[in-house]
This record gives sequence, structure tokens and C-alpha cells, in this order.
Amino acid sequence: MQSWRQFLKENWFFLAVFVVLVLFPHLVGWLTESSPFGVLRGDRYIMRGESTLWQAILIESFALSVLVMSYNLMFGFTGVISFGHAMFFGLGGYIVGMLLEFPEFAGIDPALRLFIGLLLTIVICGVIGLGIGFASLRLRGVYFAIFTLAVAEMVWIYFSRFDRTNGEDGLTISQMPAWIDPSQNRLALYYVSFVIFVLTFIFIRRLVNSPTGAVFKAIRENEDRAQAIGYHTLRFKLMAITIAGMFAGIAGIIHAILQKSARPEFLNVKFTVDSLLMTIIGGVGTFTGPVIGSTGLYLLDNQLRDQVVTIGSTTIDIGDSWNLILGFIFVIVVLIFPYGVVGTYQRWRAGRKNKS
Amino acid sequence: MPAILETRNLRKEFGGLVAVADVSLTIERGAMHSIIGPNGAGKTTFFNLLSGKYAPTQGTVFYNGNDITHVPFHQRAHLGIGRSFQITNIFPNLTVLENIRLAAQALSSVNFRFWRSVTAYPEFTRRALEVVELVGLRDAAHYPASVLPHGGKRKLELGILLAPNPEVLLLDEPTAGMASEQVPELIATIDTIRKEGGRTIVMVEHNMSVVMGISDRITVMNLGSLLAEGTPAEIAANETVQRVYLGELYGSADELVHK
Ligand SMILES: Nc1ncnc2c1ncn2[C@@H]1O[C@H](COP(=O)(O)OP(=O)(O)OP(=O)(O)O)[C@@H](O)[C@H]1O
Ligand SMILES: [Mg+2]
Repeated sequence: MQSWRQFLKENWFFLAVFVVLVLFPHLVGWLTESSPFGVLRGDRYIMRGESTLWQAILIESFALSVLVMSYNLMFGFTGVISFGHAMFFGLGGYIVGMLLEFPEFAGIDPALRLFIGLLLTIVICGVIGLGIGFASLRLRGVYFAIFTLAVAEMVWIYFSRFDRTNGEDGLTISQMPAWIDPSQNRLALYYVSFVIFVLTFIFIRRLVNSPTGAVFKAIRENEDRAQAIGYHTLRFKLMAITIAGMFAGIAGIIHAILQKSARPEFLNVKFTVDSLLMTIIGGVGTFTGPVIGSTGLYLLDNQLRDQVVTIGSTTIDIGDSWNLILGFIFVIVVLIFPYGVVGTYQRWRAGRKNKS
Repeated sequence: MPAILETRNLRKEFGGLVAVADVSLTIERGAMHSIIGPNGAGKTTFFNLLSGKYAPTQGTVFYNGNDITHVPFHQRAHLGIGRSFQITNIFPNLTVLENIRLAAQALSSVNFRFWRSVTAYPEFTRRALEVVELVGLRDAAHYPASVLPHGGKRKLELGILLAPNPEVLLLDEPTAGMASEQVPELIATIDTIRKEGGRTIVMVEHNMSVVMGISDRITVMNLGSLLAEGTPAEIAANETVQRVYLGELYGSADELVHK
């Protein structure tokens, strides 16, 4: 009884968000008088209406949140800066895309292929993470970052030239199992990615609050002293980048399924830089920061991209100058929230508690 | 008495500079052994070799009779060799308690239990609270280490060393930079640990009255080599030491011993 109260007291915010997100497609549907299932044409649904539109936005937000949470595990909690994270993200998409599209796998049930794709992504991203770690974690700071960037760029170039995935054009995924196809049954994909998002959040929170997570933070704070008191820090850093790689791969699967394609852009350093910026804007080394940073920036991007602003006689196409605007937002946020939105809020609250 | 730590012809060069020059030294079990010497004598480098932070250019380190020259840095803590740092070396954004709790947890087997909360292992928190009390940081236990004043950080430095209860304590200038009125408290803590017995303490310290008062043996280093070794009284009476070190820096060491 007591422990339930304690649990509610500590987690009411997360539970409230959970409930809202479960109901979200229906809430939007109710508010905008659209169906969360889309519009029925003949015997199938097509994805029209506000509810399905917002589902797509949230699915992408879940994918980005998982990606950024995984980046934060490495960067925010363990203090390892990698510039190769997009590689895992893109690989997840390519692995699932190739399994679904390549004719040699056509005999296998598509749902099973998807499941195998998930397992393979976890294994391959884990192994690559471990490999990169072994090869380079002895390098410190910026040298490690450059090494990861180089490996990721190599993978990017490889897939840009890989004929079987149509090189630069990328692979269109058409052989999707119908139950999860975002152009037929987006609601299912919404809930699947929501579950993945929630599980990732819980996993990372438990990990960080565990004895292992305590060592991660020790390494971030002072790796030299962590070694001096007896921690084999390399092992813990390997663990962090391996786990982060796995989750980034899973995020990439959601992204690719939503986009119904696996393209070289998904492997591009842009996703790494976005992860870094979103972590910093949300709050480095916080649990909710990456979610708020990634969702916030994605929503802004999504809502502003097609806007055209007219000031006097000049019109500004926001889509064209998005990167400029993003940079501007970044500077403003960093000035107002030096520890990110969530980090600064937490410090402010802790400060108030101390005073009273 | 049997040796707990022994070095044979231990040498460390940095480029052309010989920081530690063929040092052969025996530290006896249970001793309070101080190492003194002018700035740049190689004391910290010697500690870095004992604790495994640096690999020696030449020579051997024995611990309980075993050659540990090539045992890596992080493994030495597991053998029971703990060290503190001359330049404060803490986890700045973690609380004082968490700093010490991490050190208490380090030698256990729970470090890879990533699925349970740290609160499932109260023994480390209990140990951390004991140590926080011992080094006099109870009131600051829940503050981030970075907000401690310098003296508090030195106490924390000692606390992190003590938490896993090492057999050998290598203390590198524990009072470095502390306000002089805070020094006796910290030395009293070290003396308490010494009197509990069972541990060997090797301490580098510049404060002569501290060294003379607390040590069983003193080793004097200069320019990477051993200049002299003996009891505090022998060191105070040693003419070479007087000339090279004590005389010029601290006046008559005799006064200090008999104070
Ligand atoms: N990592 C290093 N690289 C190059 N030179 C070093 C290094 N560490 C120490 N030295 C040099 O080795 C010599 C001995 O330094 P060390 O720090 O061991 O002296 P110390 O006796 O601890 O002096 P202090 O009393 O000032 O702490 C010095 O000349 C120093 O500059
Ligand atoms: Mg020194």
C-alpha cells in the first residue's frame, strides 16, 4: 500500500503522459472529428484526416526520442561523445528494408521477417558498437569521436553505392505486413512504436539508476578516479555504446517503416548532430530531456517547415532557412537554459527546495 | 617484519627526464611510512608507479611477495592498494555520499547488475555513511562535491580512498592546499585509521611537524633517488638530509621532533 503511494508520488507525471499518449489518436480524432483509423474507401482504409496525420508525427517523435535517449545514455550519462550514432539508426532501417524487399527472403512470412529484422538489428548494431568500442575507446575524447565519424561515413558511402538498395535513391519498402503498414493501419504502428518508446524509457531509467549506471556517471565525471578506485572503465564504456547502438538501431527500424524506405540519408551524420543538439536542448544526462528535446524540435520543424512568413516586402520561406532557424533556436535555448530545458528546470527546483 | 610493498630498481623516465631513479624501497606491513622531499623529487611519480597509473621504465614492484609490476591500474585497488591524489580527484557533479558510495561499491560483484536499483544494495550506502562521518563531512553528504570548499574536497579525497577499506593506503599530500587550522583535524583522522591497526599507510607530506609526529619511518627523496631512510629521529639527525632538504626549507628539524 505504502509502496504504491510512493510509486504514484514519484511517477504521477509519467503515468499521466502515458495515459494521454495511449488515448492520443482518439483524443485528436474526437477533437477534430476525424477517425483514428483513417477514411474507409471500399474495403480498405486510407490515411486521411487529422488523427492519422498526428499519429505519423508522434511515430516519428517516438523514433527520434528512442534515438536521442540512446545517444544520451552514451553522451549524457557516460560522457562518451560519438559522431557515428546515425550509422546504427540507418542500419536498423536497412536491415529490415533488405529483409522485407530482397527476393531471396520472399519465402518467409513478412511478420516473421520483421521480427528477424529486429533481432538482427539488435545483434548487428550491438556487435558493431562493441567492435568500434574495442578498436577505439582507448582513444580519448575527440579522437574517439573522429573514429566513429569515419566508420559511420564509410557505411554511409557504402550504402550510397550499393546497387541492390538502389544506391543514392534508397530502398522503397513495399512488402510491408499489412497490419503495421503506415499507409493502411497507422494506428497499429503508432501503438507498436509507443510500446518501444516506453520500454526504452523504462530500460534506460532502470539502467542509469542501477549500480552499473552509477559507474557510468562516475566515468562521465572523472574516468581517471573511477579507474583508481577499481573500475575497469573500458568495459562500462563498451557496455554503454553497445546498448546505445542497439536502441539507435531499433529507432531506425521505426523510422524506416514509417517512411516506408531505407535511404542513405538515414545513415547521414545529420541524425547524429540532431541527436547531439536535441540532447543538449532537452538536458544532458536527464531522463526526460532527450524526449522533450527531440519531440520539441521535431514538432517545430514539422509545423514551421511549410510556412512562408512575409515581413514587409520580403517573404521568408521557413523550409529553406530551417537550418538557420534551428541554429538560432539552439543559441537562444542554450543562453536561457544553460543545462537544457529539463536540466535547468531541475536545478531551479532543487534551488527552491534548498531555500525553503 | 615482513614487507608488504617492495620496489627493486624502480625507474621512470619522461623523455630525457629521470623522475624516479632506480628506487629500491621496502615498506613494512602495518607501518606508517612517510616520504618527504623537495618539489619535483619524484614522490608523486613513485606513487603513480606503486598504484599502477604509470608503467615503470624499468624495475619491479612486489606486493605481498608477488610481482605486480604489470598489474593494471584498476586492478590494484582490487589487490587492496588504494591511493589518494595530491590534486583533488573527485566526481564533481555527484553528491559527497555518492562519491564515497561509488568507491565502496567498486570492489564488489554488483557492478554489472544493471537491472536492479542501487537502493537494493544498502550495504554500500551504509559504508558510505560511516566514512562520511569518519572524515567529518556528514552535514555536506547530500551536496554536490563541486560546491565543497577546498578543505572539504580534501576530506572527500580521503573518504573515497577509505571507503573500500584498503590494506595499503597511499596518501599523496593529504593536506595539500588546506588552511593550516584545518590540517590537525585531517591528520587526526589519519591517525585514527593508523591506530585501528591492520593497515599500512604510505604518505607523502610537506608539513614537517605532521610527518615527524606521526611516522614510524621516513624516506627522503631528492631528484628521483633515495637520499635517506630511517626513524624520525634518525632522519632529523641525518646531516645530508639537513643540508639538502630540512635545513634549507624548514630550519632545524630537531626542534620539530621535540616540539
Ligand atoms: N606525466 C609526466 N610527464 C612528464 N613529466 C612528468 C610527469 N609527471 C611528473 N613529471 C616530472 O617528473 C618530476 C617529478 O615530479 P613529481 O610530480 O613526481 O614530483 P613530486 O615529488 O611529487 O613533487 P611535488 O612535491 O611538487 O608534488 C618533475 O620534474 C615533473 O615535472
Ligand atoms: Mg607530488
